[in-house]
Amino acid sequence: MAAPLPVFVGKRRPDWESLQGLLARQRAGTLRLEELRTLDTLYRRAAADLAHAQTFYPGTDAHRFLNQLCGQAYAVIYQPPRDRWTAVKDFYRRDFPATLRAEGRFVAVSAAFFILGLLLGSLVVLLEPRGAELLVPEGVRSYVAQGRMWTDDILSVAPPNAVASGIATNNLTVIIFTFASGILFGLGTVFTLVNNGVQIGAITALCAREGMAVQMLDFISAHGPVELSIIVIAGGAGLILGQVLIDPGELPRGQALTLRGRSAVKLVLGCAPFLACIAIVEGFISPGSLFPTAVKAALGLALGGLFWSYLLRAGRTYSAAATSLR
Amino acid sequence: MASASSPSLDVATPERVSLTLPVAGIGYRCLAWLVDATILFFFWVIAYFVFSVLVSDVLGLLQGLSGLVQTLLAVGIFATQWMYWTLSEVFLHGQTPGKRLLGIRVVRMDGSPVGLYESAMRNLLRAVDFLPAFYATGSISMLFTKQHRRLGDLLAGTLLVREELFNLDKYTAPAPASPETAAASGAPGRLASEEVELILAYLERTPWLEPDARRRLGLGLVERFGGLAEAERATVTASQESLEGFLRARAQGAR
Repeated sequence: MAAPLPVFVGKRRPDWESLQGLLARQRAGTLRLEELRTLDTLYRRAAADLAHAQTFYPGTDAHRFLNQLCGQAYAVIYQPPRDRWTAVKDFYRRDFPATLRAEGRFVAVSAAFFILGLLLGSLVVLLEPRGAELLVPEGVRSYVAQGRMWTDDILSVAPPNAVASGIATNNLTVIIFTFASGILFGLGTVFTLVNNGVQIGAITALCAREGMAVQMLDFISAHGPVELSIIVIAGGAGLILGQVLIDPGELPRGQALTLRGRSAVKLVLGCAPFLACIAIVEGFISPGSLFPTAVKAALGLALGGLFWSYLLRAGRTYSAAATSLR
Repeated sequence: MASASSPSLDVATPERVSLTLPVAGIGYRCLAWLVDATILFFFWVIAYFVFSVLVSDVLGLLQGLSGLVQTLLAVGIFATQWMYWTLSEVFLHGQTPGKRLLGIRVVRMDGSPVGLYESAMRNLLRAVDFLPAFYATGSISMLFTKQHRRLGDLLAGTLLVREELFNLDKYTAPAPASPETAAASGAPGRLASEEVELILAYLERTPWLEPDARRRLGLGLVERFGGLAEAERATVTASQESLEGFLRARAQGAR
């Protein structure tokens, strides 16, 4: 027969309290090396006490207290490796591009949806002029009707750094949504991709019909390649979520989602800084006539080429080494 | 304790002890979100206030600066909207300030603390959980999953556990030395731990009980667990203090 509950608590309580103290110090980051051994010993004792309490005092506050104490200590002792700042460097050097190459087919499907949208939008506007009233926003149409670009006025309203940060946050919101709506069995992502494609296609076609194709190219060429690539990659991440929900394979849906979601979120997180950088180009260089169209186009192509050669080439040797080690 | 109404996370540790962590329900999570949203709201109000002061009143001097301030504001709003959650969860051990106030914590399905990827994933999914307004999707998902997880939690493999405050003093508070204590130690039979828990729960609550109810419940407990003869019971129950002293000594058993 076990000791009465109050006797048990009275005898063991000092150990529990010193374990609590050590846990608090661990959380504050002031734990010393020699205290680590004490922490380990105290945790084992508390775990033994928990087993004892489970058998002899189930359902009491002492049992619940030990449960929580061991839970906190367990979380401290069995920590997964922490993500440190060196991990960020590693992530961009090989993890992110390698993930992208591994998930290449999703990005390709996402690009296909986007191009489908582009074709749809431009064909509708080119074949049926009144289609523009449906697909192109009112504000853009009135500018085009006057033969001006709606982007000409951006810089006269606000300084370029404000424009750039506004664009960056707006674009980031768009890619977050493109990715996250993949949880609706991929439908949200497909809709966002096609919808964006249709709008861009329709606006481009409208400009072309009104004889403003050069101005449109002038505005879009510097930032377009990278920006559209990023939206397509975020779309690929959303499609991963949709695919794993529809066909989780041999795992239960929840587990499969957690497993595959990790690579999806890597794609989105990896893209975010590039999108922020390209917004600087969109804010400073794209609008206005500070730079000739040829320079803008060359810059756009160069940035796009750099971005994709980074994605396709970076970390190849690393990943080969990593797989051969295993 | 785990029961049908309160779901829990069961973790088997390498020490061969199973932990049962109580899961935070929709109520805790709403309150924590309200606290966080209030913090963000006031951040925005203050940022807007500072911004408008800088732009309208100090125009001449800060003309050049206002562009920078605008940039900071746009980036700041975005950062508070999206990075607040992930950064605080990663650096504050799975808690945002609101969650800390409510005593809930984000953990992985195996009870270990969240890392950057899990936290980023569950917080990016806020965009969908929020739809169409005020976390309707997330709430429905929480109501229909066993461990109250929203879509972001399902995707990231996380859930929220609750931390409670326990008062262990009630077990170790010294019993007053008096004749009743001697009577208690002489009482036949040891109490089971549930019975001890019941008596201690009563003693813990006595300060807030109505005098009548306090007296009635105390008498009932003495009747049930005292195991006293008629004469002894009369001395023990003569006053409320001696009654409670007797119960405490009885609960703490033969010392």
